[in-house]
Amino acid sequence: MSNVFDPKNPRVKKAYQKKLFFNPPVIALCFILLLILLGGGVILLYIKHSFGWIVLGFAALPFMLFFWIKNCLNEIPVTKTKNFTDLISEDLLVLLKKDQTPADLTSVIPKTRSGSFLMARFELPIPFFDGIRDYLPQSVEPVYETAKTIREKTNSEEITGAILATALIENIPNYEQLLNQFKLNITDLYQGIIWFNYLYGVVKDGKKPVHSGGIARDFAFGFTPTLQRFAINLSTRYTGSSNKIQQAENVEILKKIIHTFTTAGRQNVALIGAYGSGRSTIVNSFAETLMNADSKIPNSLKFRQIYSLDAPSLISAARNRGEIEYFMIKILNEIYSAKNIILCLDNAHLFFEEGPGSVDIANLLTPVIEAGKIRMILIMDDQKFLEISAKNSALANSLNKIVVNPSNKEETIKILMDHVPYLEYQKSVIYTYRSLLEAYRLSEQYIHDVEMPGKAKLLLESAASYATGGLVTEASVQAAVEKSYGVKIKVSENKEEREKLLNLEALIHERMVDQKEAVSAVSNALRRAGAGVKNKGRPIGTFLFLGPTGVGKTELAKTLSEVYFNGEDHIVRLDMNEFVSSSDVSRLIKDGATDALSLTAQVMKQPFSVVLLDEIEKAHPSVLTTLLQVLDEGILRDEKNREVSFRDCIIIATSNAGANDIRERITAGEKIEEFKEEFIEKLINSNEFKPEFLNRFDEICLFKPLSKEDLTDVLDLIIASTNKTLEPQKIAVNVTPEARQILIEKGYDPKMGARPMRRLVQKTVENIVAAAILSGAATPGSTLTITPSEIEIN
Amino acid sequence: MVFAEIIAWWYAHGWQVFIQKIRTSFSGITDFFSMDSLIRTLFKPFRQISAESAKADASLDLKFQMFIDRLISRIVGFTSRLILLIVGTIVIIVSGILCLCLIIIWPLIPFLPILGIVLTVLGVTL
Repeated sequence: MSNVFDPKNPRVKKAYQKKLFFNPPVIALCFILLLILLGGGVILLYIKHSFGWIVLGFAALPFMLFFWIKNCLNEIPVTKTKNFTDLISEDLLVLLKKDQTPADLTSVIPKTRSGSFLMARFELPIPFFDGIRDYLPQSVEPVYETAKTIREKTNSEEITGAILATALIENIPNYEQLLNQFKLNITDLYQGIIWFNYLYGVVKDGKKPVHSGGIARDFAFGFTPTLQRFAINLSTRYTGSSNKIQQAENVEILKKIIHTFTTAGRQNVALIGAYGSGRSTIVNSFAETLMNADSKIPNSLKFRQIYSLDAPSLISAARNRGEIEYFMIKILNEIYSAKNIILCLDNAHLFFEEGPGSVDIANLLTPVIEAGKIRMILIMDDQKFLEISAKNSALANSLNKIVVNPSNKEETIKILMDHVPYLEYQKSVIYTYRSLLEAYRLSEQYIHDVEMPGKAKLLLESAASYATGGLVTEASVQAAVEKSYGVKIKVSENKEEREKLLNLEALIHERMVDQKEAVSAVSNALRRAGAGVKNKGRPIGTFLFLGPTGVGKTELAKTLSEVYFNGEDHIVRLDMNEFVSSSDVSRLIKDGATDALSLTAQVMKQPFSVVLLDEIEKAHPSVLTTLLQVLDEGILRDEKNREVSFRDCIIIATSNAGANDIRERITAGEKIEEFKEEFIEKLINSNEFKPEFLNRFDEICLFKPLSKEDLTDVLDLIIASTNKTLEPQKIAVNVTPEARQILIEKGYDPKMGARPMRRLVQKTVENIVAAAILSGAATPGSTLTITPSEIEIN
Repeated sequence: MVFAEIIAWWYAHGWQVFIQKIRTSFSGITDFFSMDSLIRTLFKPFRQISAESAKADASLDLKFQMFIDRLISRIVGFTSRLILLIVGTIVIIVSGILCLCLIIIWPLIPFLPILGIVLTVLGVTL
């Protein structure tokens, strides 16, 4: 009997009563009736009419009804038994029927608050529930039993629509496979249930009375006019309704702060952690704890207010350094006298170094911190703390350091669940669960200057601009990253993109001739990336192109950039013959502000590009060692220690090393695949490259010298390119077969590849065309035919 | 049927809810007047408006003047707090009496219509 819905259960009756009475018109009617009866009774008694007593007496009835509705029907708590009906939520009580089948339950889910929450957040539409009807068991008993188990697993107070929906799904054979289609698993749905419970709890807590000290709270504390001018009071933000999900670690940090401020010793705390790791959130939580009369903290901390000093406003208000110090002394005096202020120095380094927006008042602050009389919280990142420690060891030793670590994945998702209602309110959107997971994943991959959970929050915020139909989905987050960082995230979904990837070789060969091995290698790498199967911790592909000059090594890189990376300007090209000494390593990693052309600066600006390292064999071994990490992990740190990601780049190194050997072997009739391994071995033995360097490349591609037949194709491409240049003038060039033959004969140089041919076409064909245009012989719409005689003359 | 249920609830859980509501509003009043804080800081200077303590080598005159300053500040603090304490206490007592009356009247409320009929039949007027 326990796993059936019992319509005679008192909770069901109460739920129906609530449906009938607990609504604004009935409540208003009761209230109006009460007022009329009270007023009418008093008036009647006033005019000496004893009927007024009846009227007044009957006013008790609407009052009782009103009180009953507001206090008895406002909530229908679960009863702690094993009966299913005793455990279900209010909204389900009026939706379930006795003889329903699991298939019937599918239409109940969208009508419940939590059910529709789950459907929206997990993108499970109504057709999904319609579609699973045929696969559900015949009886509801196993579904209800599963619902009870899920309730226990998720620590839920009641069985909600979301739990029932999850129970239905769990009762489908092979439900994991079904959920996979939505990129979900059952644990995700459990998380959704917990998420709803949490938000529901926040709404309920918001209705609780707030105790924040009353009118005489600050009577014993002094005035702080100067402080209020230059600082923000973090404590006034407290409304009493906040119930933030706190990481276990942050709770510990809060305890440490409270302990520091309530025991003897230096009354300061230095929160050391990276930007975005939640340092400010901890201070805000601390401010809330202090202002909440009900929090369990010592009286010496109760109602103490935290002021965050604003360095820029202090600097802008003061005319000179002396005045800054004057203001600061005044502020410190006020804090000391007021007795209820905790001074917070956010980005504390701004007060210990000179620079734009910062002022070095260490001489003033250090003695105050050392004395420990004024309560202070300093927030700074670990690097700045090390810098300050090096300059001012006395200060560093006076601080009670607490390290704030970035949150892990589980904690970040919980924090995001807590944060999104605020974003949803601000941006009028709804965030799906997968958007949170995607924000974590992509922010981890692409945002390097901020730590978790800050960077995931930032990404979620920007994703709101890419919401479709008011819903921020996984795709919205991907679009935000694609637009902000110029990378390709989405697994190729549109047909055009897929076609391009599938026919990449053909597209590349529209611009270059032969070299099928290399073309195929890079095409495969891009297809892997486009299909989302590439290793996320490495660049898209790393290739070493070896071969004689003029055979298409650089051209292939340029073609790739044009065809796949949105244009030829998406190429980061470094001539490695400019990096021949060990001191050149620093030029690779220079900060963009001092050298915009350093490797790290260019990739930081354009992370989705082809990185072309030309003539790599000429680079100094130290430079090659520096590049090892890029080839291996797709990461390089710049001189400011910022991580620069190369994981959306394709890295191509070119070299002429062993070019003569390749040419000789090909001329002798050998095939590349026959001598490739031996050739690479030779390069290692001759110390041209170290094995650990060659080993870092996904593929080493050997480019063969161009044959005369290849050169015919090259000539076609060059003439096509000339025609493309002339297109705006509506003039076309046609080279007769005889003239072509002459060009090929003259332009063929096995040592130099295609370059002599390009120069020859320039000197002959392009000169002829130029002369014809200038003399008026070539007019718009005309076609110039180049004959052997004209070539001979030029 | 509903009326019977209301009556049953009225004398059981309803009474508890009512007393709980009274306790909540009492704690709200106590919080509003900051009663515990007023008692704890009764003799503290008002808004810390007082001169600093004189240094050990200060003249006797200066020490005396500072002592008087602090004393005045404490008297101002004490007076303002005392006024608030008295007002708060009166409000708490009055509301306490009212609440007590309401708790006593509570079980009688369902009988008020009968009482009204009786008074009307008896022809009682004000």
